[in-house]
Amino acid sequence: MNISINGPGVYFTIPILGGIRITQTAVALLAVTLLLILLAFLVTRKIEKRPSGLQVIVEKLVSMLYNLVESTMGKHNLHFAPYIGALFLSSLFGSLIGLTKIFTSTTGDLSVTMAWALVTTAMVWYSNIKNFGFKAWLKGFTEPIAVMTPMNIVSEIANPISMAFRHFGNVAGGSVLMSVIYAALAALSSVIFGWIPGIIGQIPFFQVGIPAILSIYFDLFSGFVQAFVFCLLTMIYVGAANPPAEELPVKKKKAKRKKNS
Amino acid sequence: MIFEKFESFVGVNFFTLIFAWANLLILYLVLRKILFRPIKGMIDSRQKEIDDMYESAEKDKSAAEAMRKDYEERLENAAEESEQMLRDAQRRALLKEEEILKEAAEQARRTKERAEEQIALEKRQAMNDIKDEVSAIAIQIAEAVVARDVAAEEHAELIDGFIAEMGDKND
Repeated sequence: MNISINGPGVYFTIPILGGIRITQTAVALLAVTLLLILLAFLVTRKIEKRPSGLQVIVEKLVSMLYNLVESTMGKHNLHFAPYIGALFLSSLFGSLIGLTKIFTSTTGDLSVTMAWALVTTAMVWYSNIKNFGFKAWLKGFTEPIAVMTPMNIVSEIANPISMAFRHFGNVAGGSVLMSVIYAALAALSSVIFGWIPGIIGQIPFFQVGIPAILSIYFDLFSGFVQAFVFCLLTMIYVGAANPPAEELPVKKKKAKRKKNS
Repeated sequence: MIFEKFESFVGVNFFTLIFAWANLLILYLVLRKILFRPIKGMIDSRQKEIDDMYESAEKDKSAAEAMRKDYEERLENAAEESEQMLRDAQRRALLKEEEILKEAAEQARRTKERAEEQIALEKRQAMNDIKDEVSAIAIQIAEAVVARDVAAEEHAELIDGFIAEMGDKND
């Protein structure tokens, strides 16, 4: 019995920029993107004022997304909803595409979750600097007291790392656990049925049914929950960096402009 | 296996990371354009339409309510008005009746008066006629009595006195 735990396999290497390695993850990412665009195209092919069938479900999902964004980030941040939706779908489908066994889960690659987490961090930093000014943003690290500065910097850096590892760890861990279980079930089968001569003894009977139940948890449920958690954290961080207009400090530039006019 | 080699299990491939960014950016832009905005726009426009419909229905309802109230008021007024009219008419009819009765009574009185006058006149005339006749008869009788011609002119005074006496007794 052999279990090899590998990272994503490399299909080929494009020999430029020190070798661009096209991995299983890259292919799966492309597959997810194309699949989602195709699905989006199909479900919005004919949308009518009087919805029917599929459109009702799609509208329900979209309005759920907007309601979630509104309740988490506030009405003024509703323009983030399409990004959150795209992120959620990328994450969910990225996790579920591993079930096909043709592609690997994109979220089982730290590169992907790290990329998404860095986008969240970039959005938070950009929003903070835009809304409060660069100085105020830097000053925020010394609060509530100056001694806390190193801790604040570490927590700021730790944020994307923890987000990326949480998502990656859940999905990758799930898939590792599933391969271990498959191998264990195969071993169990060969122990119990191995004495039967011929091909029948080689069939891993225990691999039927049992992994499906576990897969519901490790792939479906975990994939959904992790996508939701990742999006929720993104919403909370970005929402906190974009408070409603009345809580924003009055900008000096604007004040000056008002004086001049 | 078709793979040249494997990436490390826990590691970041810089190109995969760039690739993930690119995919997320493309998905964001495309889904926003063909999925989120059209669907959200459809939901919002439908919501607005429904709100408008409810608002206009509410407006129509209140307008109808006002109209109903107005009609009811008018109807009530009309009933009152007609009653008033009836009462007026009755009152006027009574007045008219009284007037007519009074006039009739007056006319009757006048007619009676005239009739009485006429009767009185005719009575007097008849009396005069009778007097004349009586005087003529008296003269005839007197002629017969005295067997001689009585000069009417000479005794007229005498006769008249007689008749007057007689008439007075008759009265």
